[in-house]
Amino acid sequence: MKKVAVFLIPLVLFMLLAVFLFSGLFSDPRQRDSSVVGKPAPAFELPDLMQPEITYTQDIFKGEVTLLNVWGVWCVTCAVELPYLTDLSQQGVKIVGLYYDQDTDPDFGIKSIPAIQQEVVAKLSKLGNPYSFNVFDVKRDYSLDLGVTGAPETFVIDKNGVIRMHHIGDINPRVWEGKVGPLYSELIAQ
Amino acid sequence: MKSLQVFVFTLILAFAASSFAAEESYQFDDPAQQALFLELTQELRCPMCQNQNIADSDAMIAHDLRRKVYELLNQGYSRSEVVEYMKTRYGDFVSYQPPVTPLTVWLWVLPVLFVLMAAFWVFIQRKKQSQEFDEEALAKAESILEKDK
Repeated sequence: MKKVAVFLIPLVLFMLLAVFLFSGLFSDPRQRDSSVVGKPAPAFELPDLMQPEITYTQDIFKGEVTLLNVWGVWCVTCAVELPYLTDLSQQGVKIVGLYYDQDTDPDFGIKSIPAIQQEVVAKLSKLGNPYSFNVFDVKRDYSLDLGVTGAPETFVIDKNGVIRMHHIGDINPRVWEGKVGPLYSELIAQ
Repeated sequence: MKSLQVFVFTLILAFAASSFAAEESYQFDDPAQQALFLELTQELRCPMCQNQNIADSDAMIAHDLRRKVYELLNQGYSRSEVVEYMKTRYGDFVSYQPPVTPLTVWLWVLPVLFVLMAAFWVFIQRKKQSQEFDEEALAKAESILEKDK
């Protein structure tokens, strides 16, 4: 009895450790619960990227299911997802862009807005324009409020302006069919 | 020759350190606040580059978080309020100081438990050994005594 225990206990401990570490190999450290999901979109007051005289607030999310897509022309993966997002928008999905610029350092001068607009127009005319409009996150404050870690990231926001999903990474057919799409249709049906 | 090499190497190291420190500096009027800023940027974790704190990281998000910490401290936020501000946006993940929850309490309990169990096991073994030893020695001693008779 005792001999069996002496043999079995370390074996069981080792197996547990091996299973734990092995499962760790396949876990994605970027996958973690977003703290904004389930809450109303944070308040903001930001200009339109193309027409800075227009100001948007969180009310833009009211009444319609919206995908808020965080992107920038400097972001390679964003360029990859633009054509697919354009497809989606042509199927009737409302996509709003949250644009932020990497070279715009709030402390040390700002890249001129016409220069940014030019880059954006060039990019969108080449790869497709899925956006109803783009909110310009001038100082990246709104991204911070949303818990954005980089680009691209997409938020699914329901008709009441409540954030229902925070997806980190690009949206492609696999992600749309397996993750974002089902929630979107569910929210549309409500 | 060797000492010269060491000297040059040390010099390079010294310059490297100073250039890193000068890259971005947020100045506070109050030295206590400056110290708090350094402490906070070391305790807050960069959400993008996962094994660096925001003082260490050069990712844009880390720049932004540093700037935010600076702004918040200047607005009179306390240490815990700044951490709370970040946690409501980036979750518990953003702090290197884990909160005590039913899940994380094991981080503290397990090592103590392990030490206690190990001590208990050693204690039992000792007791058993001393008992075994006594009996054997006694038997041996007795047999020797027997022979001598």
